[in-house]
Amino acid sequence: MSLEHLPRLPQRLVEMLLQNFGAPEWLVLIAGFLVAASTVVGVFAGGFALLSLVERKTLARAQNRIGPNRAGWFGILQPVADGIKMLTKEDIVPAKAEKILHLLAPIMIVVPAILALGVIPYGREWIPVPLELGLLFFFAVGAMTEVSIFMAGWASGSKFPMLGAMRAISQMVSYELPLMICALGVVMVSGTLSLPDIVDRQGGFHLGFIPAWNLFTPWGLVAGLLFYVCSIAEANRCPFDLPEGESEIVAGHMTEYSGFKYALFFMGEYLGLFAISGLGITLFLGGWQAPLPGLDFVPTWIWFFAKLCTVIFSFLWIRATFPRVRIDQLMRFAWLCMIPMALLTLPAAAIWHFAGRGLLSWVVTVPLLLIPWVIITVIYNKRLAPTLRTYRFAE
Amino acid sequence: MDSPSSTIERLPAPKRPGGWSIPGWGLLQGLAVTGRNMVESYYKKERMTTIQYPEERAPISPNFRNFPFLVFDTDPAADLRCTACSICEKECPPQCIYIVLDRDENGKSLKRPRVFDIDLSVCMNCGICAEVCPFDSIYMDGEYELSTDDRFGGLLFGLDRLAKSAEYHMKLRPEQATEVMARRKAEEEKKAAAAAAKLAKAKADAEAKAKAAAEVKPEEKGEEV
Amino acid sequence: MIPLLILTPLILLAALGAVWKARPVHAALLLALTLALNAILYLVLGADFIGLIQFMVYVGAVAVLIVFSLLITRPGDEAEEIARRPRSLVTGLACSLPVLAVLLFMVSRFETAGSAATDARSVSIEQLGTTLFTTHAPAVMAVGVLLTAVMIGAALFAREPGKKTPTPSDS
Repeated sequence: MSLEHLPRLPQRLVEMLLQNFGAPEWLVLIAGFLVAASTVVGVFAGGFALLSLVERKTLARAQNRIGPNRAGWFGILQPVADGIKMLTKEDIVPAKAEKILHLLAPIMIVVPAILALGVIPYGREWIPVPLELGLLFFFAVGAMTEVSIFMAGWASGSKFPMLGAMRAISQMVSYELPLMICALGVVMVSGTLSLPDIVDRQGGFHLGFIPAWNLFTPWGLVAGLLFYVCSIAEANRCPFDLPEGESEIVAGHMTEYSGFKYALFFMGEYLGLFAISGLGITLFLGGWQAPLPGLDFVPTWIWFFAKLCTVIFSFLWIRATFPRVRIDQLMRFAWLCMIPMALLTLPAAAIWHFAGRGLLSWVVTVPLLLIPWVIITVIYNKRLAPTLRTYRFAE
Repeated sequence: MDSPSSTIERLPAPKRPGGWSIPGWGLLQGLAVTGRNMVESYYKKERMTTIQYPEERAPISPNFRNFPFLVFDTDPAADLRCTACSICEKECPPQCIYIVLDRDENGKSLKRPRVFDIDLSVCMNCGICAEVCPFDSIYMDGEYELSTDDRFGGLLFGLDRLAKSAEYHMKLRPEQATEVMARRKAEEEKKAAAAAAKLAKAKADAEAKAKAAAEVKPEEKGEEV
Repeated sequence: MIPLLILTPLILLAALGAVWKARPVHAALLLALTLALNAILYLVLGADFIGLIQFMVYVGAVAVLIVFSLLITRPGDEAEEIARRPRSLVTGLACSLPVLAVLLFMVSRFETAGSAATDARSVSIEQLGTTLFTTHAPAVMAVGVLLTAVMIGAALFAREPGKKTPTPSDS
């Protein structure tokens, strides 16, 4: 047992223990799965708690503040305090709410996020559920989120949640399209829908030091960047956080929720963020593969989580920097820029796959992607970029 | 179509030295700004401008004022400057001051308040009481941590909480307090001088009287003799 | 067999609810539930790919589309809806019975053909794709043309007549 196997230790222990006591085979299997699932949920629930603190700290530093520093050493107990606060708050259900749907929505928002986390390969030896159709499974359970957001918005029986839900759904539907198309390119090149296999295909190094990740190919760079932007929008994070834009529509679909249900929404959102970042890492950043040769002695899951932390930090940085976009800008950006570029990555990936991944592929795919990109950028800047508004009566 | 209240102008694209704009340059600039904030806030003291309130406080400006307080010179019971003249009570716009004159058993005024209450929940911090006081007795305080969970009793300040020493005044508002002290000292000296003069005059008078008496005495004596 | 016995009544109940509920949003959500249960049925039967696709396309896209169109349209009167029920029942049956008949006919033919029935588990995605784009290519293309027509039609509907689509530069 090396460090590589550490995340699977609880599962092994429980299985061995049960076998020792002569438990039947099916019980050992189920208990093993339960423990494996609990490991993932535990790790990411802890990650959620930590992230809620780190996010506030990072945002504070970006604004030259200190951030939470009262609860515990450097505010380390802040998530605990928040949790206790959320748990002890009154649970208010509006009189006009649809009681059952109102209750179901926050649960149904956490479940798909947890399910999606189950198929991601965290390390060479740590794959909670090695599904053959892992990628498809990820998107299929992700589809549930939209229904639950609709349920939350509609069941609250009030205007702001409804508006927020409408915004959220239209945004998620629009951005899911380029997201999936970008992932399709990876599927095409890897020739598999299984996430562990996709990671395996990204092993090795070009020229001895450039990792053979999908990001370091012309189509992969474009698809990866598009995937990154789409995942920000899918996770409803700034600058695409219109669904819950607190200054415009209170908190979107979460307006009428309080106490623990509200906390569940947040948990679902952050778990979704972890899941989509994990998928992005798996598809484009080589999953658990080490970034440089000769680093194999480090357990692979450490690389995965290092990448995850980097990606999440970039999300925080972006949140600290950019203002929220308007809904029409958001939709126009998705349909006029993201989707055409995402569609272009498909032929580029095909050429890359069939033209031998050598110089020829570079010569063909780079112009194939670069020229439309320049054209789209020029058109967008000329015709559709936001214009300066001067107010005649507000000078 | 322009709406009547606004005209729209194109936002000039950020130009690079080469004459064409790099797409996303503005985004990178924004990221650089926040990134610099994040890093520099760890070692540059001047970046962290927030005052960590319960541990440290912002210095109060000498002109900061909120609620009134009463000044005594040495002993809050004996030499409160207040003479219970009730001018502030009458001038107070929201009428938050309540004064009862202290009297001895014969009903004679002791020239000091027996009760001096200010209801801070009513006070509007105008400072008129401080302006009208002819005895330099009432001034505006700088104390702001007055929150209480008893909204009736907790904000009704009596003599015990209103009376503060002259040193406190000096520390809170040095300029004003110095001026007041100088004036009071001058007045006191003048008073003392006047008293001394009076005393001297009285003495002189007495002496003159005595002299006169002495001058008259021999005659009387002589008469007697 | 047991999962089937649990699932099928649930699917039927959800489908009936979707038809019977007077509130359109409830009906739409129950429809989504029906589709999701169908997806689970596929998964139970071993057709993983179809099951997940069903979930993704029908629950993630179609149901959301229906729900979304409900959100942006004015809800009808509930009582009126219930009063209209007998008439709706007739039209509904008139529409669905022929479909059912065709389906039954197809299923019975499929059963007798027998040879095409293979274990769903043994069909790989590759085989599925190859069949779809070779033997069934005309059907796929027909569906593609249909969907394009629908999209153009929807765009035409969405555009108000005689009005240019607004852009920020001229709004």
